[in-house]
Amino acid sequence: MSVRGYDRALSLRELLSGVAPGKLSAALTVLLGAPARIVSADGGWVMDDVPALIESAKRLPLVHDLEIAGFLETTAADQGHVRAIAIILESFMRSGARYFMASEMHIEVVKTDFEELQRRHEALTASEARYKALSAHLEERVKEQVNTIESARRQLYQAEKLASVGQLAAGVAHEINNPIGFIRSNLSTAQSYVQKFQHVAERVKSSGDAALAGAWQSADLDFVLEDFPSLLQESVDGADRVARIVSDLKGFSNVDQAGEEIVDLNDNIRSACNVAANQISNRADLKLALGELPKLRCKPGHLSQVFLNLLLNAAHAMKQRGEILIQSGVENNQIVIRFKDNGCGIPPDILPRIFDPFFTTNDVGAGTGLGLTVSRDIILAHGGSIEASSTTDAGTTFTIHFPIRNT
Amino acid sequence: MAELDETARKLTIKLVYYGPAMSGKTTNLIGLHDLLSPDLKGELMTLETQNDRTLFFDLLPLGFRTPIGWLVKFKLYTVPGQVVHDATRKAVLSRADGVVFVADSQRSQGVNNAESFQNLEENVRRVGLDFETLPLVVQFNKRDLPNVLSEDEIRERWSAAPWPLVMASALTGMGVRETFVKLLEAVYPALDRSFSLHQTMGADARSFINAATGEPLGNPR
Repeated sequence: MSVRGYDRALSLRELLSGVAPGKLSAALTVLLGAPARIVSADGGWVMDDVPALIESAKRLPLVHDLEIAGFLETTAADQGHVRAIAIILESFMRSGARYFMASEMHIEVVKTDFEELQRRHEALTASEARYKALSAHLEERVKEQVNTIESARRQLYQAEKLASVGQLAAGVAHEINNPIGFIRSNLSTAQSYVQKFQHVAERVKSSGDAALAGAWQSADLDFVLEDFPSLLQESVDGADRVARIVSDLKGFSNVDQAGEEIVDLNDNIRSACNVAANQISNRADLKLALGELPKLRCKPGHLSQVFLNLLLNAAHAMKQRGEILIQSGVENNQIVIRFKDNGCGIPPDILPRIFDPFFTTNDVGAGTGLGLTVSRDIILAHGGSIEASSTTDAGTTFTIHFPIRNT
Repeated sequence: MAELDETARKLTIKLVYYGPAMSGKTTNLIGLHDLLSPDLKGELMTLETQNDRTLFFDLLPLGFRTPIGWLVKFKLYTVPGQVVHDATRKAVLSRADGVVFVADSQRSQGVNNAESFQNLEENVRRVGLDFETLPLVVQFNKRDLPNVLSEDEIRERWSAAPWPLVMASALTGMGVRETFVKLLEAVYPALDRSFSLHQTMGADARSFINAATGEPLGNPR
């Protein structure tokens, strides 16, 4: 096994590499007063290539690290001198060894330190990359969270608005319900009373009492008796209509009961139409083309709000009297509902932004710009989608899709 | 791992004195140089900074010839104890045949001893040696100082450890030779297995230790 590095065995040549061979050789000769040379233990290396001395020359071992590393050969007679010189040479060798070992150790240490530094550098680079990836990801996560919060905030805002409107509507509906009830009942009673008058009228007219007939004539009671039933009938019709609107309003204002129900969306469309009828009637004709729809599990109050929103938007789009068509049906295993109007349309540069929050073309204060945004949020929450297509001055179509789930 | 040179009939054994800074590793080598008288004893080579702290290592060569002419050389190294010189400690420890852990007995040095011992264990593994089988002697040095852990306390704390414990005062020479002898006793079986010291080189355990310490006769005490 050959050992390298600081603890390897060193040759005499290496041990004496720190001194100038020529000068040492000359100094030895001067100090000893006789020829001298330094030879390695195996005789393979002679310092300064001094030629061999005569046979009788003496050899003194030069010991390094417990072993004979070489010899001092000289013809000098003074043994004391020679030994002293050998000690000096051994000191040189020790000094050389010390230098060798220190430098080898230094190299080894520097190398391991450098390797360690590189290893740490790599670890740091890796960890930096990890943190960079994390921070990039973090930004995305924050954006996602902000969007979620923003959407939740909009829904909350709208839900609160709907809830307060709903409470008000429910209160009003309740208050109207009672009087409309007795008005309707009283009108029916009044109709039967009129019938009784009509029976009596024949007798009065055929009684021959001239004064009575004159008074009848002057009060024009024939006309009264003829007109009265139709007046009452119109009032009954009117009261019925009020009752129906109140009932729709109550159903419509159920938004605070956010529970899911299984409903036919056509009912919700009709109820939205009834609620909006007054605002629409002087602007547009409303046509319904409602196909048969499978029942859908949904939050009906919220969807009714969406339909009302689209209806009112369509009505507002009318510059002159126009037409609003609502179609419903099943296409590709999806419920499809279309709101078509032939109003002013939406300019192409605005169309992509209509679902953005707080985007509105209305005057300040006329709308929050949340209607379509919240409508889209509600539809998305039901797993559906909504798209708009529009041609300026020709009209706009909103198309809603809902997936049909087996409920 | 000892180095065998069959042509020169030479076996070189590396022994390392390990331990925390200022625990007396170099003083142990100085003591050995003064106390031992083997056939062959070199000068202590020190590589130190100006303030006597070991920079790279100290080296004391010792050696003897077996009856049938093999040269057995010991190279006794110390490591630098200061924490910053870990790379040097690792380099010195590589290829070691046995280790003396020189602990400082002073009560204030418990943490330093523990950290250094842990560092020894780590470095032994890092240079590819087996800590379970590495011959190891633990020396508690500086017994001459006041405020040291009592011998009973030390033996109690180390009772579960498999290594020989030696109480020492390197400055006065007490326990220095005993530590070395204990290490030789621990090192011999492994060397004998690897290089058949007894059969090939003619050195049984007794004569091996006696020759290394310079006791021609009797017990190495």
